[in-house]
Amino acid sequence: MLDSLSNSLKDALKKLAGKTVIDRVAVDELVKDLQRALLSADVNVKLVMELSKAIRTRSLEEQPPKGMGIREHVLRIVYQELVRLIWASTDVKLEPQTILMAGLQGSGKTTTTAKLARYFQKKGLKVGVICADTFRPGAYDQLSTLCEKINVPCFGNPGEKDALKITREGLGVYTDLEVLIVDTQGRHALETNLIQEIIQLNKLTKATHRWLVVDAALGQQASEQARRFHEAIGIDGVIITKMDGTAKGGGSLSAVAETKSGIVFIGSGETIEDLERFDPDGFISRLLGMGDLRALVERAEEAIRADDVDVNAMMKGKFTLRDMYKQLEALNKMGPLKQIMSMLPLGNMELPEGVYDVTSTKMVRYRIIMDSMTSPELDDPSLINSSRMQRIAHGAGATLDEVRELLKYYKMMQRTLKGLRGSGGKFNMQRLMKRFSGMQ
Amino acid sequence: MFGGLRERLQAARARIGNSIQTAVVTSQEQGRTSASSVSQNPVLTEDQVPSPPVSSTTFAGKVKSFVIDRELIINEKEITDALFELEITLLESDVALPVTDAIIDNVKRHLIGKHRKIGQSVDALVVGTLKEALLDVLGNGFNLTDYIKTHEHPVKILFTGVNGTGKTTTIAKIGFLLKNQGFSVVIGAGDTYRAGAMEQIDIHAERIGIKIIQHQQGADPSAVLFDAIQYASSHKIDVVLADTAGRFHTKANLMNQLEKIRRVMKPDLIVYVDEAVAGNDAIVRAFEFEKTVGADAVILTKADMDSRGGTAISIAHTIGKPLMFLGTGQEYDDIIPFSPTQIVEELLGDS
Repeated sequence: MLDSLSNSLKDALKKLAGKTVIDRVAVDELVKDLQRALLSADVNVKLVMELSKAIRTRSLEEQPPKGMGIREHVLRIVYQELVRLIWASTDVKLEPQTILMAGLQGSGKTTTTAKLARYFQKKGLKVGVICADTFRPGAYDQLSTLCEKINVPCFGNPGEKDALKITREGLGVYTDLEVLIVDTQGRHALETNLIQEIIQLNKLTKATHRWLVVDAALGQQASEQARRFHEAIGIDGVIITKMDGTAKGGGSLSAVAETKSGIVFIGSGETIEDLERFDPDGFISRLLGMGDLRALVERAEEAIRADDVDVNAMMKGKFTLRDMYKQLEALNKMGPLKQIMSMLPLGNMELPEGVYDVTSTKMVRYRIIMDSMTSPELDDPSLINSSRMQRIAHGAGATLDEVRELLKYYKMMQRTLKGLRGSGGKFNMQRLMKRFSGMQ
Repeated sequence: MFGGLRERLQAARARIGNSIQTAVVTSQEQGRTSASSVSQNPVLTEDQVPSPPVSSTTFAGKVKSFVIDRELIINEKEITDALFELEITLLESDVALPVTDAIIDNVKRHLIGKHRKIGQSVDALVVGTLKEALLDVLGNGFNLTDYIKTHEHPVKILFTGVNGTGKTTTIAKIGFLLKNQGFSVVIGAGDTYRAGAMEQIDIHAERIGIKIIQHQQGADPSAVLFDAIQYASSHKIDVVLADTAGRFHTKANLMNQLEKIRRVMKPDLIVYVDEAVAGNDAIVRAFEFEKTVGADAVILTKADMDSRGGTAISIAHTIGKPLMFLGTGQEYDDIIPFSPTQIVEELLGDS
């Protein structure tokens, strides 16, 4: 249902391609499709109306810069207007701070609290968590279990009913920690005493940040709820959760508009590592049904850093089997291939479901085969003749065909990297993926 | 509850009414001046007035409205603005876009080309049409008590839904409700995945005094729920409430697990739980859950969050299953049966 929407948006854009004069009808059509895409993504109705009006006026009135096609001109306006809507991505400083979590019931505060703790821990800060949710049964158990897994201290007392008291005690205990995250009970704007409670929690903790956790599926209510939370404690950042489902997270834009803050993080999975820094470009692409390149890069950088893949050498075309080995390892760390692929701007391409699984098992096989190679072979794959191939296959318990396939894959990667350099840094994913699936 | 939608619907209703009223005035004037030509024109006899919306558009394009035998025909142009306003109203109330389209279409089809007796009030016509359209979408409610009374015990009820919609809390509320109605209840703690879930439902069960069947964290939920049913059968318990871990419809392995649970426990009722504040995604996930494991009824939680109730309309329209309850707060008795007629009356009624 939603796919067809983003497709119609792409169709509308196609109609503008190659045009040299603004076509009023085509622009109207594009604006209408854009409206529908944004409305189905739960962006606030008023925001959508304002936005589409601005895009329409600007597209028709502004002269495209010299050398820019109509399609690019309109796309640029769409992009600029959307960025304006999103405000800026909020900075996350790696320094001592106290973070107060706020949000509706079931929006994912507790899970996000643990993910945040993990995030700061990975950045090398001493983190502690306080469970100020004294209402929901099992809340403390949930948070302490999650924190235990990552060795982060968690302060709480399931027997105590006074959230302020627990928090006060926790603040007293965790004085030597750098980052403190206070998880609170879910509440909504109409629950006056709970709003009062969070106001007091805010005063007590003197929180550096007050982040509002918003479910990606939250609809038009997002504005109202965010406004009231903002009035109460002054929200200075929004976290979108459950982005691994099909919801597009447009509700968070309403929250951003109401709180005049930015989106800080995006939660996109059930494991504790599934937290991404927010990137406006990526978010827009996802909102409109395209890919998200920047988030992938950030994740890739984190995964690759430990292995020190020499990117520069690779870009110069010096790509050895050793590099490929590291790359496969890094790819493995980044999580399931499917998740990575969903973040790439693959556009209209339809990938068969089977591709991901087979490919990731194949990657494991490749690594095993490479483990049976000698150092000189890894550095200079051209050394590998048929007798060496025999030995490698024997050592890895693989067939000769599998070794050949690996070498073929290596050559393909090498060519792709060369192509990447050739086309001015533009990754030709489509071609790469075609080859990927061709190798099944 | 749903106060926002109500106010807006009434505004939209007045607006549509007004446009028709204006049309009446203008057409009556036209009617006076061209009365003879109208009556002589054979094209305009009553049974030749096209009723399908497609042809009525072209028809409407040519003439504004006519007085035929003291009746009025409403055409599309006059109510376009008002319908647009209704559309915005629905969208702002979280009715998903495709569902909004369907409702507007329905209202349009019923209003355009319709003959209205001059004496008939415009308001009544509009309200009637809207009411019909909404009731058509919402269907009938679902009476759980009656269902339990008329079916073989234990009645096995499986609860499904995505993460964080309030399945566990809802089960506690329903357990409490049924217990107060005199049924014996057992809860199967099928959420063995989420940290703290076992403790959560354990504490609920203890507070409301209901037996709970649990395995350890990470156990196979199908096994837990099977045990719960075995327990119910051997202890002559009336109702089994089966909790499950929240899961996204996009996770194939988790959906397969749910499918296995269904196969193993053979539930009498599958209840899909979602929140009243969800936006457009509500229809996507409801559709997917219905497709994979089925759903017999729907419960909407968090209806106390000032929500405008559009989600109810979206889900009902998408999977065509009745709404059973609305969750309206944090206490065990904060749950009310969903009655479509009552809600629609409330939304469109006077005062």
